[in-house]
Amino acid sequence: MNMGEGRRSVSRRSWMKRLLAGLAAGLLVNRRPAAAKVEEEREGLRETGPLTVRVTRPFDAETPVREFTSFLTPNHRFFVRSHFGPPDEERISEANWRLRVDGLVERPAEFRLKDLHQMDAATITAVVQCSGNGRAFHRPKVPGVQWERGAVGNAQWTGVRLRDLLTRAGVKDQARHVQLQGADRPVVASVPLFIRSIPLEKALHPDTILAYEMNGRPLPLLHGAPLRVITPGWMADSCIKWLSGITVQAEEAKGYYMQTAYRVPAKPVEPTATTHVPSIPVEAMVVKSLVAAPEEGETVKVGPIMIQGVAWSGEAGVVKVEVSLDEGKSWEPARLVGEDHPYAWRQWQLAWKPAGAGTVTILCRATDARGDRQPATTPWNPSGFLWNGWDRVTVTVAGD
Amino acid sequence: MKGANVKGTRNGATVLCIGALLSLVVTTAAQEDDSLSIAAALAPRAEGLIVARCSVCHSADLIAQQRLPRARWETTIEKMKQWGAELSPDEADLLVRYLSARYHPGAPDQLPPLDAELRKAEPLTQETLAEGPVTGVAARGAGLFEHNCQACHGAEAMGGMGPKLVKNPILKHEDIFWETVLHGRGPMPAWDSVLSHQDIADIHAWLMTK
Repeated sequence: MNMGEGRRSVSRRSWMKRLLAGLAAGLLVNRRPAAAKVEEEREGLRETGPLTVRVTRPFDAETPVREFTSFLTPNHRFFVRSHFGPPDEERISEANWRLRVDGLVERPAEFRLKDLHQMDAATITAVVQCSGNGRAFHRPKVPGVQWERGAVGNAQWTGVRLRDLLTRAGVKDQARHVQLQGADRPVVASVPLFIRSIPLEKALHPDTILAYEMNGRPLPLLHGAPLRVITPGWMADSCIKWLSGITVQAEEAKGYYMQTAYRVPAKPVEPTATTHVPSIPVEAMVVKSLVAAPEEGETVKVGPIMIQGVAWSGEAGVVKVEVSLDEGKSWEPARLVGEDHPYAWRQWQLAWKPAGAGTVTILCRATDARGDRQPATTPWNPSGFLWNGWDRVTVTVAGD
Repeated sequence: MKGANVKGTRNGATVLCIGALLSLVVTTAAQEDDSLSIAAALAPRAEGLIVARCSVCHSADLIAQQRLPRARWETTIEKMKQWGAELSPDEADLLVRYLSARYHPGAPDQLPPLDAELRKAEPLTQETLAEGPVTGVAARGAGLFEHNCQACHGAEAMGGMGPKLVKNPILKHEDIFWETVLHGRGPMPAWDSVLSHQDIADIHAWLMTK
């Protein structure tokens, strides 16, 4: 619009001036030691709120890992991710919101929230983790929200079993997949809707629920009020928020977010590969652990330090967490502590007495009941999913 | 950027020299992989485009955290065009050049902020402050609205992600209307680098007829 030649020549002089200024600025900034200032700014941001904001709109934010010293992640500190942001509140108000169940069912049905409240409730403590958690650590870098360590949390979810709704509706024989859609909508109609599906067997699993409560409170808007799918053990891309439609189908959902996005190569690929390779949807979580304390960059005393963190895996329990203080040459087992639930994370601890002053990097890795163990780094994939490389925290041990 | 349009001016030779020097500097800078400077040079227009064409759907911080090679910037922009980003081929090309210069894989995690002056996006419009008050033309406003505002404020300004503007009280408080359009408010980005005063007046005039 209004991109006439006239304006272009008018602006040419200022254009050149700016180019020169830019070159000068480039030279200047290259010489200024900016590291100290950046560090100050980062400290400042930490004070402003509990979440580390990655994208302002739609709001995407991760939880600072220090929060993970508690078993349950508080609702207001739980990571937030969506493609379009919450729907209009009117759309999901108690008066207007309906959950529609249709497709390959005998009796298509609509439910209000109060209908769901009258059904048998189920409570599951489960880790919910963004598929892209840790994307920032993949090399070469890949496009997408550059999540680091905190796009994950552990909460207690209460709701109805998806199976109970499907049984009421009567699933037909040809049914193989259950398509899930939320009430959120893109700003521009030409953007594909966020529609996903899960295989029928996952939908019928007694632990797959539609949650209306999170940690004993009504589900918050940013976490999908009034209803969110919880597929325990699976990545959060199937944990559809603001759920408004369930369609039983013979096929996987069509569309960008099922057929193109949230997939990983069926076999590992080289970053340089350009040809299209067969891919599979992201489903189960991979075994993973985090150091929650001490914090990255923290200064600790020479006295005994309690290293603590969390570990989880998708469909098998965590059986071992190990810590290394020598870049992975030797590993020491940590003690698994606290509550033990099938889909929750497990807390762990290790007492450490630093040998002396200096910089130390703490690494941790977990192993699950199937024998899967965290690798040093995760195989590269084009969308940067499923990062589970050894967690790494560097601290300074103060003298005396 | 080749200083080729200046022949015939009295200072043509001088300008040509500067132009040649500039080209040399740009080439050398590129050779030295000083892509930051190229990015700074492209920033005024590119940042204006980002506000106008990208931040309709997502804030610019999503862009600034990427570190991608040119080929991936190209595919990303192509995807965004398919999804509805209103970019002409020239604009898309400018964005690819800017983004792959500033946000390339070798760029540091913490980039120095754009210089304050450069950060002020260069208007995409022909605007001079000396124009004085403008009178809106409703007939022109309809198309401008569709192109720039409809994505958020809905067809016929009946509301969408952004508020309904038909019969909205803000239309009668022109100072607030202009302030909001020019400088943004809440989730709405500033449009001063995209819409001319005449454009804004036209949109206002059209909204008043609804």
